[in-house]
Amino acid sequence: MARDKIYLEEEFPSPLLQLWHNFRHSPVVMIGFGCFIFLCVLAIFSPIISPYSPINNHLDHLLLPPAWHEDGDVSFLLGTDNLGRDMLSRLMHGASLTFGLSFVVVIISLVVGVFIGSLSALTKGLKSSFLNHFLDVILSIPSLLLAIVIVAILGPGLNNTLWAIVMVLIPQFIHITRNAVEEEFQKDYVLASRLDGASSIRILSYSIFPNIIEKLISQATLAQSAAILDIATLGFLGLGAPIPMPEWGAMLANGIDLFYIAPWTVYLPGLAILFSVVATNLVGEGMRHAIKQRKVN
Amino acid sequence: MLIFTLRRLSLFVFTLLLLTLLSFSLSFLFPGDQVTNISGQLNASPEHLEMVAAQYGKHESIFIQYWRYLTHLFQGDFGISMASQLPISEEVLNHLPATIELSSVALLIAMLVGIPIGFIAAIHHRKVTDNIILSFAMIGYSIPIFWLGLLAILIFSIQLGWLPSAGQISLVYEIEQRTGFQFFDILLSDSPYKWQAFQNASAHILLPACVVALAPATIFIRLARTAMLNVLETHYIKAAMAKGLNYRQIIFRHGIRNSLVGVIRDVGLQFANLVTLAMVTEVIFSWPGIGSWLIESIYQRDYTAIQGGLLALSSFIFIVHILTDFIYASLNPLAREVHHGSR
Repeated sequence: MARDKIYLEEEFPSPLLQLWHNFRHSPVVMIGFGCFIFLCVLAIFSPIISPYSPINNHLDHLLLPPAWHEDGDVSFLLGTDNLGRDMLSRLMHGASLTFGLSFVVVIISLVVGVFIGSLSALTKGLKSSFLNHFLDVILSIPSLLLAIVIVAILGPGLNNTLWAIVMVLIPQFIHITRNAVEEEFQKDYVLASRLDGASSIRILSYSIFPNIIEKLISQATLAQSAAILDIATLGFLGLGAPIPMPEWGAMLANGIDLFYIAPWTVYLPGLAILFSVVATNLVGEGMRHAIKQRKVN
Repeated sequence: MLIFTLRRLSLFVFTLLLLTLLSFSLSFLFPGDQVTNISGQLNASPEHLEMVAAQYGKHESIFIQYWRYLTHLFQGDFGISMASQLPISEEVLNHLPATIELSSVALLIAMLVGIPIGFIAAIHHRKVTDNIILSFAMIGYSIPIFWLGLLAILIFSIQLGWLPSAGQISLVYEIEQRTGFQFFDILLSDSPYKWQAFQNASAHILLPACVVALAPATIFIRLARTAMLNVLETHYIKAAMAKGLNYRQIIFRHGIRNSLVGVIRDVGLQFANLVTLAMVTEVIFSWPGIGSWLIESIYQRDYTAIQGGLLALSSFIFIVHILTDFIYASLNPLAREVHHGSR
């Protein structure tokens, strides 16, 4: 029988793996993580698993209440809206619009922000100071106001709001990357590889990024919960996804007029937004807690 | 303290300059012709357009254009709104006080509710009370504001009928505008129904302010909790314990005072977030503030209004930042010396 390990070797898991070990100890966080994965699956496979098309009208079933109501119909589990569209299918498709797109938005702004942030951490002096203050200005403008200004430039529509939110999120990532990189640069292991003759770019990619990635991910979860709320808010205000699209915020705006006769058209999209934001926040919270524990050990 | 003030003020001026630079560059990015946007008239005569272009130096280099833009701003001239044909500065002065009122009442509610709850959570650290408060804070932080506003209207205005759902004050009361701030105007007016009007205005502000306050209150809960936990671990608390003070005395004499200082520093940072929430809430509650005005301007493609609104709202937020910095520095001598204003 072959034995892989003859010697007792001490293993050092990578920072990401250590994070995972700390992360999975809290049951509440794992429930949140489960919900997060569920939403991801829903966002990807919603066209396959949803019972009806999100824009298909069932004209003989207008404003049907959810199935648990005495007038409900089990074939429309969560009821229908004023045009007879199935709420369940719309909510499922909305997962890929609101939740899935927020994921994409965060990834794009993460990549751009980390790139600019690490470049700015390597520069010093006037340029860096100017960028610093410029970022402070942008960060203190309310995010929605900035998004509104960018939407005003690009014109309303789902695509344009996504770009607006990407641009709103980028400064945070620049800020956190620059601070984290500068902090790491002070440490001894970076000095060691610098003495070995490594260039700044090499130090950045081999020594620093593996050590700051957890911070970036935890910032990304924060940014994603903000992005979900922003997409939904802009959709609600009529600046984002147009009304026929099953985006959660736009669905809610569509249901306002019927709030009193058909409250489920407003409750359900709101609950969906709340659910996805809570799941994202739980994951982020667990991540930050795990990072703190790793620092303590 | 003088040096601190000077540093802070110079940073403030610098920040405002950057902001005007941002707003100046926006006029190139907005769709449509720049000069038409500034003039505020859709079908302006060529002579009028030529006059506006000459005023803003549109035929000269970009630096001169920026300089002209700045001088116009300093004279209080933000351009003319395309939708209402009024000067933007007048529109901003009409709408900003309502937003300031709403957000300061909301901030007050958030602090009065959030900070004590945070202290309670810290005192019961890692117990059932702490967990309940923290999970409540998580939900309050995640709830979409427009949904919360709609639910609040449905429950408190429609079903229970306790509070009015829209507007700043009932139309029955005629209040002469003097300062623009509703409450001051009411108190200054010599109407015989002053107190009824005051009560009515308070009833109107309560619901939107509570809706705006929920998310910041949950953030204050967390801030106050962390600040109190940090204070309870310091040496002077240990010294106080060694002196024989009981737990209640320690919390009331040392804990609350020292942790409040830490919380106040972050109040300013929360303000931008609070204004964002207030903007959406204004739309739902038909509050005549600058947020609903700005969103209305987008529908009407009133670009000069958006530019002016951005400038006004952001400088208001910067002023609040600076004020909280000063309050923090005057409360905490350590802050004046270590970091300076520049960072």
